[in-house]
Amino acid sequence: MAELSTSRPAVTVVLGSADACDRVSALPGACPISTVEVAIVGDASITALRQAVRLVDPDAIVRDVSDGWVLHTLEGPGARDAFARLSELELPASGFVQGAVARIGVRVLIEGDRVDLLVPSMLATHLRERIQDECRELFA
Amino acid sequence: MTPGSLRFEGREIPIEVGDTVASALFRAGVRTFSRSLKSRRRRGLYCGTGECPNCMVTVDDVPGVRSCVTPAGPGMRVERGRGWPSAEHDLLHVTDLMHPLMPVGFYMKTFVRPRFAWPVAERVIRRATGSGRLPEDREPTRGTSRHLHVDTIVVGAGASGLSAALEAASAGERVLLCDAFPIGSQVPPGPARDAIRALEARVRAEPAIGILDRHAAVGVYDGPTVALASGDELVQAHPRRIVLATGATEMHEAFPGNDLPGVWLGRAASRMAGLHGVQPGRRVVVVASTDEGLEHLRTLVAAGVNVTTAVVPAAFVDEVPSTAEAIADGELVSARGRGRVRSVIVRERGQERRLGCEALVLSTGLAPRDELARMAPDEPVEVVGDAASAGTVPRVTGGYLCLCEDVSGRDAEQAWAEGFRSAEILKRYTTSTMGPCRGAMCGRALTAFASARSSEADRESASRTTARPPSRPVALETLARSVHEVIEKRTSLHETHLGAGARLGWSGGWKRPFAYGDPREEYAAVRERAGLMDVGTLGTFLIAGRDAPALVDRVFPGRVADLGPGRSRYVLALDEAGYVADDGVLCALEDGSYLLTSTSGGAERMDARLREWTHRLGLHVHLLDRTSELGAILVAGPSARELLEPLADDPLDPASLPYAAHREVAVAGVPCTAIRTGFVGELGFELHHPRSRGPALWSALMDAGEPVDVRPFGLDALEILRLEKGHLYIGQDALPDDTPAKLGLDRAVDMTKDWFVGKAALERLAAIPLGRRLTGLAFDGGPPDGSELRGMPVMVGDDLVGRVTSAASSPALGRSIGLAWVRAIDGQIPAEGLRVGDAVATVAPTPFYDPGGERLRG
Amino acid sequence: MTLRIPCPNCGPRPHTEFMFGGQERPHTANDAGADFARVFLPDNDPGSARERWFHALGCRTWFELTRDASTNRIG
Repeated sequence: MAELSTSRPAVTVVLGSADACDRVSALPGACPISTVEVAIVGDASITALRQAVRLVDPDAIVRDVSDGWVLHTLEGPGARDAFARLSELELPASGFVQGAVARIGVRVLIEGDRVDLLVPSMLATHLRERIQDECRELFA
Repeated sequence: MTPGSLRFEGREIPIEVGDTVASALFRAGVRTFSRSLKSRRRRGLYCGTGECPNCMVTVDDVPGVRSCVTPAGPGMRVERGRGWPSAEHDLLHVTDLMHPLMPVGFYMKTFVRPRFAWPVAERVIRRATGSGRLPEDREPTRGTSRHLHVDTIVVGAGASGLSAALEAASAGERVLLCDAFPIGSQVPPGPARDAIRALEARVRAEPAIGILDRHAAVGVYDGPTVALASGDELVQAHPRRIVLATGATEMHEAFPGNDLPGVWLGRAASRMAGLHGVQPGRRVVVVASTDEGLEHLRTLVAAGVNVTTAVVPAAFVDEVPSTAEAIADGELVSARGRGRVRSVIVRERGQERRLGCEALVLSTGLAPRDELARMAPDEPVEVVGDAASAGTVPRVTGGYLCLCEDVSGRDAEQAWAEGFRSAEILKRYTTSTMGPCRGAMCGRALTAFASARSSEADRESASRTTARPPSRPVALETLARSVHEVIEKRTSLHETHLGAGARLGWSGGWKRPFAYGDPREEYAAVRERAGLMDVGTLGTFLIAGRDAPALVDRVFPGRVADLGPGRSRYVLALDEAGYVADDGVLCALEDGSYLLTSTSGGAERMDARLREWTHRLGLHVHLLDRTSELGAILVAGPSARELLEPLADDPLDPASLPYAAHREVAVAGVPCTAIRTGFVGELGFELHHPRSRGPALWSALMDAGEPVDVRPFGLDALEILRLEKGHLYIGQDALPDDTPAKLGLDRAVDMTKDWFVGKAALERLAAIPLGRRLTGLAFDGGPPDGSELRGMPVMVGDDLVGRVTSAASSPALGRSIGLAWVRAIDGQIPAEGLRVGDAVATVAPTPFYDPGGERLRG
Repeated sequence: MTLRIPCPNCGPRPHTEFMFGGQERPHTANDAGADFARVFLPDNDPGSARERWFHALGCRTWFELTRDASTNRIG
């Protein structure tokens, strides 16, 4: 059994050198996208981030990209089963992975029985429909 | 229909507890279960394990069901497949007599000439073969598809598999144990089954072992990944290692008469008698050379079957029950009979003896089920139990080598004589191993055949043929479960468009409005007053960082170094071969960074391209794909500025925001980047805004536009508007090898630059005369709806010289116009004599409408 | 048969998450003739080659690897 909910959290992107990204990669909600990009999900102080990051890389960029992302959350004992119907990715007990979910690129945050799927806004409705289609019985 | 019976070809057949469809039918006297593919020979129950094709019937409209392993259910409707008028009395059986006229591979040689004969012949052959008909109106069943991650997967839940699973679990692994059937269901009651039940109890008590019974492993793939298929779901398991405990089938040998109804493999016969209480025949001859065979012999005798003779190796003679005559070291020569077995020829001490019987039961060896291991030689696969045994080499002395494809020993001989001299080539020419059994029955026989005829040096050619997934027939609807719907992108105005009555359609991966009503009215609004269009589908990108100017200078072929803050410019994206891949608009921002737009369908590629060159050129650039983050609304028309100014917090007059410029401006309180564009040929403002504010902005614009009767316009109107300006769509008007010159876009290229992507190719190509060009055409005559000209060939006389890529009826010009690529003849694009269908085409310079561009530069 | 591509950021993933960028043929910036040959006249030898790959559905970074196209072995 699982529940599906949708929300629009704050999302901030940090684009900078590897050192600059390291400085923010341990913050709560931080997702290491690549060596030169970190996404922070959840409220964050852009000013503080910018300061921290520009100490190491004056060229770095910190921006609010909340409008670009939507969060679909699967919660409950069946959340991982639901995910397994949509994606080949193996989920850790907690943490972050990114890869193909229902054939689109999705950022996944996991904490126990909660699987958060961060998807580009333009694909949010599509993914929600795919989740509902494939996992029908798990939501009943 | 009484409960406890199934319906078989108009008869009601009673079912007993534990019956399979085959045992119920056999008990009721059915002996011919199917007809063979080519020769329409009668086929009876043979393997009993769901591997040979003989027992395949249609159950409840689903063809190809293995009746010997399918539990019988009350109310089932069962029919046999091939046979005209019926499988029992098949007139096409005459083809068996025509066998000499239909040698192996005959269909590749006959019916080739005269050419008209083949389609006719194909239809006839197609109707005559086939193991059943698919119902036309059956809906695909719903099922699931999922992935499973484990440390070890054990395929096969017999004794070896159950033990292997327990061993892995005790080593701390997460284990998945799977089997095509319910655990223990394929073993008749006895010590073997008791041992399995004991192991099963331990496995079920072990939490680290997950069990998937009724799931057949159909393939092993790179990863490794093992695909498991059941009727309801497709499971893709991702283990770290694979243990195959798939066991072995009883060996299939090819000897004269081996395919007659009444010839059984040991497991099938002992199950029919021991499990279902039905005698395989009134007098039975058993040929057994394995321990398992002796077990079957004992089971038959214990079930009261009249075993008249048992042919066994000398060492087993004492094991033969006293009620049967034992022949030591006898050699089975052939089975005889018309339509079914009536006697068997056995050679004993050099003398041939005929033994009258109704059934011949064979247990002469084992064929390990190793196809999954052979499928994936590079994956971590361990084979245990009978599946790891060497198996026995089958004899091929005649009869049918491949039951599924009806390939006889004679056919194989003929193929060999024709020069097909390796197992792989024989397989392809005769189609052996390509039928429903997937080589489980005939694979070893084929190899044995080739082996016996190959020299030592040639052993390679006699090795086992390649195994490929699926290892068992699997319904397409099961595999299709893992395929998802088409990926659909939407802007934040999707609901708004629906509310306005828009007709939506696919364009470049997005669902977009094509029209809200009459596209010609929308067109008129844009030309005369103002129109709104949702262009939020455009790719938008931030290019920043200290090397951003260097990146744009090298990625785009045109001059961009002099693009100052607040200015924008049309750019092309080329690949290294100089071909145009996409186009867009580059805007220089205040701080040395850039905002780039691209076509809607090309966005992902543009992002990949920017990243690729950043990487390859070692540049320090920050790239952000803002396509999802930003929506965009185009306000276009002579009254566009008049509509916008009251809503804007910043000036929009021609001095403040001239053509080919951009600025930040708040419109109706929504922060926008406004870019002056001219794609539709009128005064136009492209308002890029945060996606979430789109509906509010659209609504404010529609309200503000009421005094001028603003209209939303869609892709249909856009097509006419942009065509009148001769503006091309890369996705529609450009061919994959179009260079800027061929598209008439030389102005977007600056060959004086040191280097840009594709420059070397363009330099080389500049020396070659242009082979074709995208040209504007005006039409006279032709269909009233000019868009019908799209895609039609351009002719000069009988010569094809081009193709129309876009066309529409132009209200402004009062005729149809279009763009077409036109081939140069002797270096020149023909200017006369062009025809497209019924229409006369004239080369016309573009833009067709407002050539001076005054309307859009206002 | 799926191919698993090892992304340096994300680990081995099915090839369906990637875009193939072709063989890597280092370009010589100032020799137009060599550049042309590089793009239009590749050798296409069987066996191992350096290739460019892009993790399109993941981290969206480009990287190179060596793959033997006849065996699909990587590295």
